Amino acid sequence: MDDLLADFVAETREMLEAIEGELVAWESEPSDRARLDAIFRFVHTVKGNCGFFDFPRLEKLSHSAEGALAEVRAGRRHPDSRLVSAVLAIIDRIMQMTNAIEAGEEMPAQGDEFLIAALEPDASDVGEIAAMQSGESAAKSNEAGPSAPRTIRLPVELLDRVMSGVSDMVLARNDLARRLRESGAEPTLDGPFERLSGILGDVREAVTKMRMQRIEHLYNALPRLVRDLSADLGKQVMVDFEGGAVELDREMIEMIRDPIVHLIRNAVDHGIEAPAVRRAAGKREIGMLTIAARQSGNRISIVITDDGGGLSTAKIGAKAVSNGLITQSELDVMPDSAISDLIFEAGLSTADEVSAISGRGVGMDVVRANIEKIGGTISVSSNPGEGTMFFLQIPLTLSIISALTVSVQGQRFAIPQSFVEEIAHGASANIEFSQVGDSDLVTFRGKRIPCLSLDNVLELGQRRAARDQRLVLLRLGSGGLFALGVDRIHDQEDLVIKPLAPAVMQTGAYAGTTLLDDGSPVLMLDIATIAQQAGLITDSRARPAQASAPVKAAAEAERRSIMTFVALDGRKRAIDLGLVSRIDLVDASAIDIDAGRSQVVVDDRIMKLVGVGCAQITDEKVKLLRLSDSETDIAYAVAELGESIDISTDLAPAEGDETIEGVALIDGQPVPVVDGFRLFSGNQHQQSRDSRPLCRLPEGDEWVERMLKPMVSAAGYAIATGEDETADVVIALEGTPPDVADLKAGRLITIHADPAKAGNDKHEVYRYDRDGLIEALRSARLGKAS
Amino acid sequence: MNELIVLLHIDDRRVAIPAAEVQSVIELEDIYPVPRAPDFVVGLTAMRSRSLTVIDCRRALGIAGETATGERAPVVEIAGHLYALLVDAVDDVIETQSDIRPVAGGFGKEWQRVARGMVETDRGPTLLINASLLIEGPVARAA
Repeated sequence: MDDLLADFVAETREMLEAIEGELVAWESEPSDRARLDAIFRFVHTVKGNCGFFDFPRLEKLSHSAEGALAEVRAGRRHPDSRLVSAVLAIIDRIMQMTNAIEAGEEMPAQGDEFLIAALEPDASDVGEIAAMQSGESAAKSNEAGPSAPRTIRLPVELLDRVMSGVSDMVLARNDLARRLRESGAEPTLDGPFERLSGILGDVREAVTKMRMQRIEHLYNALPRLVRDLSADLGKQVMVDFEGGAVELDREMIEMIRDPIVHLIRNAVDHGIEAPAVRRAAGKREIGMLTIAARQSGNRISIVITDDGGGLSTAKIGAKAVSNGLITQSELDVMPDSAISDLIFEAGLSTADEVSAISGRGVGMDVVRANIEKIGGTISVSSNPGEGTMFFLQIPLTLSIISALTVSVQGQRFAIPQSFVEEIAHGASANIEFSQVGDSDLVTFRGKRIPCLSLDNVLELGQRRAARDQRLVLLRLGSGGLFALGVDRIHDQEDLVIKPLAPAVMQTGAYAGTTLLDDGSPVLMLDIATIAQQAGLITDSRARPAQASAPVKAAAEAERRSIMTFVALDGRKRAIDLGLVSRIDLVDASAIDIDAGRSQVVVDDRIMKLVGVGCAQITDEKVKLLRLSDSETDIAYAVAELGESIDISTDLAPAEGDETIEGVALIDGQPVPVVDGFRLFSGNQHQQSRDSRPLCRLPEGDEWVERMLKPMVSAAGYAIATGEDETADVVIALEGTPPDVADLKAGRLITIHADPAKAGNDKHEVYRYDRDGLIEALRSARLGKAS
Repeated sequence: MNELIVLLHIDDRRVAIPAAEVQSVIELEDIYPVPRAPDFVVGLTAMRSRSLTVIDCRRALGIAGETATGERAPVVEIAGHLYALLVDAVDDVIETQSDIRPVAGGFGKEWQRVARGMVETDRGPTLLINASLLIEGPVARAA
């Protein structure tokens, strides 16, 4: 039996178990509205689920039971004992059929029509007899029992307990690790402790997996549903899924399955118009249905969009008035959005005809009830003629979150990694700060992004966004982007998030707390709420005004390729792909490491070898990245090769480590990028200052100071400072000819901001073309005319 | 009726909470402040790899002034959250010698909110307080 069917059977059985008590109670008190509603929802859900599968009899049964109960709900019919028995008989039959489906048997003998007939108000006693018979056979089939289970179903609370136990163990382990470190414990403890850590890691992973499922699991069933529905209705609907990899709690998936199926049925049935109508409205005949899931912090947002006719507020309003939900005078003063929200009220359906697919006005109140039960929210927005969007926000009970730790004024905070788009240094050349009124903006890659300072957000003091901050660029669930200025960015780690005390929760700034490895508690920032409090939710994507300075042409080209690898010390690093000329595999015997000197023989040439550090070479073969600056080759020994990735040039600075150019954020992981220029400069024969060629740079330009100067001096040039020095090479920026009298032919390099203008000539270099610049420097120094 | 209680001092008054509610008494070490939290929330601290919310009882009662830190603090668990109560002193664990009784005229405006009643002990009458009301902090007074 396939998984879907098994789910269906299990779910139906569970629901039935849940309402079993209600059934009995309803029998004794048929006018009890709450019980009636619960039973009604059951048959409605069964009917809905049948939409996945081809169970016409089951669907027919549940549809007729639903119909009879709807009459009762509407007050048009009194629930007499005969109706109650008939409904109970149908529910018994549903159970029988479910058992048969599970066992893979044929459906029990016919007889459905009697059961359905018994629901009719004027039904004879035939119904009752049929009901009794059905009851007997139900009892019989129960004796046979369901087939032996291949899996076990566990209460989620049990999993929760295991999960929280494991989380506590992780924290206790961290605490122990810290204490062992502090007390300088005996080395004999290290082995067992490492083993404990390893096992704990495995267990944690397994427990997490136990509870997690990709939302894909839910998606899988939907195309078929949409296809069958649209075929029934003579519509054409294309369905598109996004974010299938978003993982959420298994229980959560179960909880949102019904609501989502309801919403999709409604979208196909009521939202998307018939092809002819669509054509007349100038739309494509094929309707689009999009379901997008996204994890934002501790919540999952799911957006279901259709490009159908949208909600008709006039119709909803009229219906709500006629159903007595609101009065006409209330309706008159209601804004459109409030009218749209009425669809979530019980007993409202705008469809003109009741169909088997949806439209008894139960769908939406059931949807809302189910979503709210799990602590989620649902809202709708609609544009007449353009379509409808349903926004679902589901909490993520998952308690381990990958987070970035930052600090401000010495206090640490965690930011869920899912929000983090990029990290940048405030002092980086392509970031500009500006102020509009009291608000700070940063301009980054041609976009103006609102910038909050964490100091202000947390009321730790007033400050403006400035260059001494690090910026964390955060992407909100709604797609908006904003920057958060912090003092330092520390680390990225998996944190076990615990709920906060209500008094702390009230602040709205935090989503949870956790203990870091050193035992100190750290608060997890609630990014969505912070953005909302700052008023950034709606208007965060303001483009630079047309009148503002033209976006730097370089913005687009500011991406470069790097290659990741695992160094011999096991750490992940990256290097500029432009430097890598080839990859070699050499025998360990070709490597010669001596005190302070390491060399390798490749293709009968002796090369400098770097990247070995003090690591021992144990493998027989060693992978080498052959780096070339077009003059010298250097071999970089690596343990494993990674991939080449395009990144932004904006690396976070690597504090205190001069061999690192900066730290790139790759797939949420910080990866240090090896400074290629330093590698080469460090491997040249050290020239004394006097013998170094002199290079004159343009003065007073920030980019030159920050970028060009270090690059040129790393390439082995002295920078001319005084007016009287005669430079070997002169570098000028485009449009600003150098003010130098002694310029020799062929010794001028011009830097262009526009890559299109560079490249015609060896001495016309684009500002981020490092290799080009090095080559130009070399040829200019030799005085070669190009 | 003889119940074990933990005697505490808050604002120079002798109060008590049932010993059954007190998980342990810890020495407060580092307290990490929580920006933007109400003033009676002093911060977070860690105990046996769990994080605790530290509550200044004096402020939670709405009494001016600040409780000196550095003393021992009783830890209570309320609705699944652990709280460390910052008090002037933790005295002793003793037995009550009477039922909980009201006092005519109440216990005073700050104390009335959290009071369960008075109990007799061998140290004299003691105010028994409800920790779960205490940690809610002073109720915003209606204007």
